[in-house]
Amino acid sequence: MQYFIQVVVDGVATGAIYGALALAIVLVNRATGLINFAQGAMAVMSTFVAFGLIRAGVPLLLAAVVAIVFAFALGAFLERVVVRRFEGGDPDSAVVVTIGLLVLLGGISALFFGYEPQPFPSFFPLGTINIFGVFVSLRSVGTIVILLVAMVLLQVLFRSTKLGLAMRAVADNPRSSALSGLPVSRLLMVGWGLAAALGAIAGLLVAPQLFISPGMLDFALVYALAAAILGGLDSPVGAVVSAAFIGVVEGLAGAYIDFIGDDLKIAVPFAVMIFILVLRPQGLFGRKVVVRV
Amino acid sequence: MDKIFANRWLRLAALAVFAVLLIVAPLVSSRFINYQLSMIAVFAVALLGLNIVMGYTGQVSLGQSAFLGLGAYIAAYGVRNEWNLVLVLLLCAIIPAAVGMLVALAAARLRGLALAMITIALPIIGIPLARRFSEFTGGSQGTTVSFLGAPDWSGLANDQWQYYVVLTIAVVAFVLARNLVRGRVGRAFAIVKENESVALAMGVSPYRYKVLAFTISSLLGGVAGFMYLAIVQFTSPETMNFFTSINLVAAMVIGGSASIVGTILGAIYYVLVPVVAGQVNSSRTALISGAILLAVLFLLPRGLVSLPRRMSLLIGGTRRRGASPRDDQNSPDGASTADPGTPETPTAHEERQAR
Repeated sequence: MQYFIQVVVDGVATGAIYGALALAIVLVNRATGLINFAQGAMAVMSTFVAFGLIRAGVPLLLAAVVAIVFAFALGAFLERVVVRRFEGGDPDSAVVVTIGLLVLLGGISALFFGYEPQPFPSFFPLGTINIFGVFVSLRSVGTIVILLVAMVLLQVLFRSTKLGLAMRAVADNPRSSALSGLPVSRLLMVGWGLAAALGAIAGLLVAPQLFISPGMLDFALVYALAAAILGGLDSPVGAVVSAAFIGVVEGLAGAYIDFIGDDLKIAVPFAVMIFILVLRPQGLFGRKVVVRV
Repeated sequence: MDKIFANRWLRLAALAVFAVLLIVAPLVSSRFINYQLSMIAVFAVALLGLNIVMGYTGQVSLGQSAFLGLGAYIAAYGVRNEWNLVLVLLLCAIIPAAVGMLVALAAARLRGLALAMITIALPIIGIPLARRFSEFTGGSQGTTVSFLGAPDWSGLANDQWQYYVVLTIAVVAFVLARNLVRGRVGRAFAIVKENESVALAMGVSPYRYKVLAFTISSLLGGVAGFMYLAIVQFTSPETMNFFTSINLVAAMVIGGSASIVGTILGAIYYVLVPVVAGQVNSSRTALISGAILLAVLFLLPRGLVSLPRRMSLLIGGTRRRGASPRDDQNSPDGASTADPGTPETPTAHEERQAR
């Protein structure tokens, strides 16, 4: 039982990282209707900013805050300068633009910091915490708590502030929003900025575990995409729940099914995902899209 | 009409020059250049498959590398057991096609991104499977083979012979695919891409044509895997890498979606850009490749294949009253060059007339 709960908590913590990236993907998708393959690369680049600052002697927390602010600016900048040109055009081109950004940002990160994975300081002390007689690692609990707080803040922003209302309006119908006098262009930039900032938090939290390198989140991106689509691309809650689900399924399959073990465990959530999608094409939480003739 | 005629002869002449170049090139080039040319042929076939399902039929596929890897593994297994090579090539086409068809039978009910996600899963599941079943695949180390050496009578070096073999396969694949997309099936693909409900109303089953497009795409992916093994003589789980699929999608859009010429341009781009970037500065390959990708998309959002049209618009746009009449003859697959919104209406119209 003890072991089972540890596996589940670690799975949720891993899932929370995917969940943050998935949520970023959902935010971008709702705002601009495209899948941003560069979401992970943007997060890694921001994490590298923190890494550079820490190396220069800046305290960890301050470096993290600067990195998150940098991520916001980076997201807004890329939306305005690069992605804006392709919005509303051929969707394939727009997606390939984000693939180009993925490659380019990875290259820029490598330009400054190289391809070698390097250690990154952790925000949490090593060790475990005793919750109702079960020992779970502080890192897992901390990761889950921070990401939960970030998600709740986002939800509050979207549900109960004027900015959030405006952003939802733009996501829902950009043309009507523009006619009602909303600054659509700036709101899209804010949307991308928020998504990038969320990605940066995920990057900062996972970097101590994975070691920082330009390809650090390549794999997490695939999981995040899976979570975003499994949850239904328009549902933030769905993305987060699916991500936790993926993390837990992966952990449990690796721990308990001997045939699967450590090498095959990454395949399990994807196999489950195929099964679910075939049964429920709109995803677990998505609304069914009706296509007009 | 006169103009079409002149244009056609011009195109035939260009094709002849191109063919002669392809045949003579390996005889006068270094091994390195032959290798690159062969790789272009390999990835042209993989991209052709991707273009059929994505460019022509409009279904996002992010799993082409899985079929490439599957084909390469089947070829490696066949070669190690000394099966007849023609049989091996056939298996490399049939088995991936069957796998692709099975996946599509389940997945083709889905639209858009859900479908894309299932195709993402293929390389993700494929790589650990390839590692696990090491008696077939050689595990993480991969498997090295030695086959398709030049026969004595030809007097060619191995790399030249292998080039001719893959070139022949590629040419056959392209001719067949060209005929396919220009015929009845191609028009059905186009209307499925444009609007599935309209397709259904016209008696074209979107489900069946999506499955068909996926099957053909996986078949070509598998064949490309055979060609890959013939040139590289090595394959490992890395062949299936998800990012190979992503880069193939990028190359397809860069070349020109729903265009045969664009497919070849995309393959040239896919193979040569990393090489060029690596020669400029080997530690900055990613940076340069990414910058080139974005630059091409900024200048030519419809891909490299739209370059001549773009040029003529820039140079003589006013004189020729827009380039649209010429374009229709250049690419009956319209979507490659014209506006995405407009060209499908005439296609839909044709389809109705054909029935």
